[in-house]
Amino acid sequence: MPAAVPAVSTRSLTVAVIGNPNTGKSTIFTALTGMHSLIGNYPGVTVEKKIGNFRHQQQDVRLVDLPGTYSLSPRSLDEMVSVEVLLGRQAEVGRIDAVICIADASNLERNLYLVSQVLDLGLPTVLILNMWDVAQSRGITIDVEKLSQTLGIPVIPCEAHRHRQIDAVKDAVLSVAGKAGVESPRVFPAVFYEEGKQLGSQLQEWGEPDVPFYVTERLLLDVGGQIESSFAARFSTRLTEALAAARERLKASGFRVPAAEAKARYAWSRQVLTGIMVVPQQQQVTSSDHLDRWLTHKVFGLAAFVLIMFVVFQSISTLAAPVMQLCEAGQQIVGDWVSSLMSPGPFRSLLVDGVIGGVGGILVFLPQICFLFFFIALLEDCGYMARAAFLMDKLMTKVGLSGKSFVPLMSSFACAIPGIMATRTIENRRDRMVTILVAPLMSCSARFPVYTLMIAAFFPDMAWAGGWITLRGVLIFVMTFFGAFVAIPVAWLLKKTMFRGETPPFVMELPSYKWPSVHIVLLRVYESARAFVIRAGTLIFATSILIWAASYFPGDHTELNRLQEQVDETKVSLNTEISEKAELEKQKSKLSEKGSAPELAAIEQKLAAVESKLEPLEALITTKNAMSEHLLETSYLGRFGKTIEPAVKPLGWDWRIGVGVLASFPAREVIVSTLGTIYSLGGDVDEADSGLQNALRESKWPDNRPVYSIPVAISIMVFFALCAQCVSTLMVIRRETNSWGWPLFTFTYMTVLAYIGAFLAYRLFAFLL
Amino acid sequence: MLVVPLEMMTTGEQGRIHALDGSPAFVVRLQEMGLREGVPVQMVRAGSPCILSVNDQRLSLRFEDSTTVLVELLKCTR
Repeated sequence: MPAAVPAVSTRSLTVAVIGNPNTGKSTIFTALTGMHSLIGNYPGVTVEKKIGNFRHQQQDVRLVDLPGTYSLSPRSLDEMVSVEVLLGRQAEVGRIDAVICIADASNLERNLYLVSQVLDLGLPTVLILNMWDVAQSRGITIDVEKLSQTLGIPVIPCEAHRHRQIDAVKDAVLSVAGKAGVESPRVFPAVFYEEGKQLGSQLQEWGEPDVPFYVTERLLLDVGGQIESSFAARFSTRLTEALAAARERLKASGFRVPAAEAKARYAWSRQVLTGIMVVPQQQQVTSSDHLDRWLTHKVFGLAAFVLIMFVVFQSISTLAAPVMQLCEAGQQIVGDWVSSLMSPGPFRSLLVDGVIGGVGGILVFLPQICFLFFFIALLEDCGYMARAAFLMDKLMTKVGLSGKSFVPLMSSFACAIPGIMATRTIENRRDRMVTILVAPLMSCSARFPVYTLMIAAFFPDMAWAGGWITLRGVLIFVMTFFGAFVAIPVAWLLKKTMFRGETPPFVMELPSYKWPSVHIVLLRVYESARAFVIRAGTLIFATSILIWAASYFPGDHTELNRLQEQVDETKVSLNTEISEKAELEKQKSKLSEKGSAPELAAIEQKLAAVESKLEPLEALITTKNAMSEHLLETSYLGRFGKTIEPAVKPLGWDWRIGVGVLASFPAREVIVSTLGTIYSLGGDVDEADSGLQNALRESKWPDNRPVYSIPVAISIMVFFALCAQCVSTLMVIRRETNSWGWPLFTFTYMTVLAYIGAFLAYRLFAFLL
Repeated sequence: MLVVPLEMMTTGEQGRIHALDGSPAFVVRLQEMGLREGVPVQMVRAGSPCILSVNDQRLSLRFEDSTTVLVELLKCTR
């Protein structure tokens, strides 16, 4: 093939990428654009918009990734967005200069269905035959040259996961972009195109000029489709009647809508591939099938599913723990360092208590979030998620949903926002609504910090089976699935009352198992870690400062600052004693494990001697803490907290927790930073202690009873498992359902559920323990 | 030649799709995903939902009364 001269233009070219699900579309996208892609939403809708860039032969190319789809006949909003982008009607993306259509070489006949629809758009197109190696290993041969001639577009075989042929793809894109589009393959009989033309002129008469041919085609073919409904608002019944009449005429000449489309497109696909593709006759049993014999089995499959989930959550808690401790130590060091640089005063308090105590307290959980997303991305990329959906379909039908709801609900375990967005693949409206409404009950990553804090502070570090099973790991696992467990009756109830209807049919592709791509998995982790840090830096940062201000003012802090200075000075002068004490305590705890009585006694004697020298410091700190405690209680936040205390007392909470819960309305994890700020200001966080966990353990009611006990910790965890404290989720629900009513409903039902749940949990465990 | 509803196929049985009938939206969706008249199929795991091998891809399906898929059985492996 002669190398085409690229159409070098000064503006950047916009190229859309489309393909069936499971064709390795995202692998090609990242292979073309590298790490840096921009993820956002299309205005007004929450379909993910992914844009990346590359530069090839001095030409900038902007790549738009469209959601994986089997067809361009828009029945869901997801598919509608793809069609709008391809038609150049998405203002943010603009005109499309070329389309890269990705097909699975090992299943080309079906993939050509979508290709034929893309060709109907009349845009310059490049066809990529991905998974070329898989096709070859199955003995499939395809004459690429001839296919390219027949279709009239460049065709490139590709193995994206090995980064082969990526430059050839770039060359091909530049060779077609901006040129004349392809000719539509004309898969339908002539009468159909005649009707299409008539409909076009009819629409022009009604004041709708320049309707692309593809739109009229879809209007005729999709009975009650998305495009028809988007037009219906303007033309009311006129259009529906015209379409019905046109379809009636088509039927009279032997073209039955909608059945005829599939027939015509597949006939075209078969005709194109005759003499080009040879497929061996017998169906092969693949290694995927051998795995599936176990993993989709009624009993073993379910057991494997539970085991996989258990291992995932167990490893999150085991792997993340040491990294978290490092982060906590780092937070401590930074706090101490800032304290040592500044003299006591409001600004130092803002930095140390507000920013480092608040935002730092939440950033500590970054490792956990990363591990969670790592495992979810791993399960998704290797193909297991579809099997899980298959296994769960049986359970889901019991509550009136289908396996289709499983993947959105499963991704809600990372975050409810992508989960709710993923419900767009559910065509049945009632199912989609129920899935959206219960998705926030799935334990998202924002609950992790709350669970981890409570569990680490109040449950002993016990381990069984040689350290493989830990009490804390088990508790995290239980809390994670608690919300899902509650979601079962909620979904059932919603399906029985507000969204009555039959269980819709269910069909889903089970992709072959494959080794997960390291690149894709790490990219997912990176993207979610970034989102988490940004959230901590903006929303949580702002809330932290507000909470700090409300708990710092209006008290007079001059006396406290004077005391703090004294404490700092005494600490410097007693520096050797302080480090001596720490060293002795370390030795003591080491010895008490082994247990040598005389040595232990000697150390305790030394310890007592050092402690007596440190006594003036201790006294100073006690006075200082009492004063800061008093200042906190008389602050705006303290007064407010005291007012609401009666409402939260039945749950076993004191006013601080109550305030923390209210302040965490924008995002659940804010509770951790709020408690961090409150206890840091209250003086309970002694620099020698390991932060918030100890502060919680040592927090007291006025009558000296400890505030936190295991029932209180459980009550807090249950509340956070069930509450809807996440503004972003509520906003997404509003956008998805297009009404304020549903987010309001979600918030109300979840808060009521959370309050009752926390109350019952507190009473039950207070009674049991 | 024996034509049966897809649900009647047992694990391992092979056949060819004879006809799809039922709610238009679901039938079109099935066709788009490759389950259409004339394609050879093999039941990989019977049940509801079942796993079906269609042209070297695996589809998971559950049927409701509204939709019927008829299959010509080719070979009985029982």
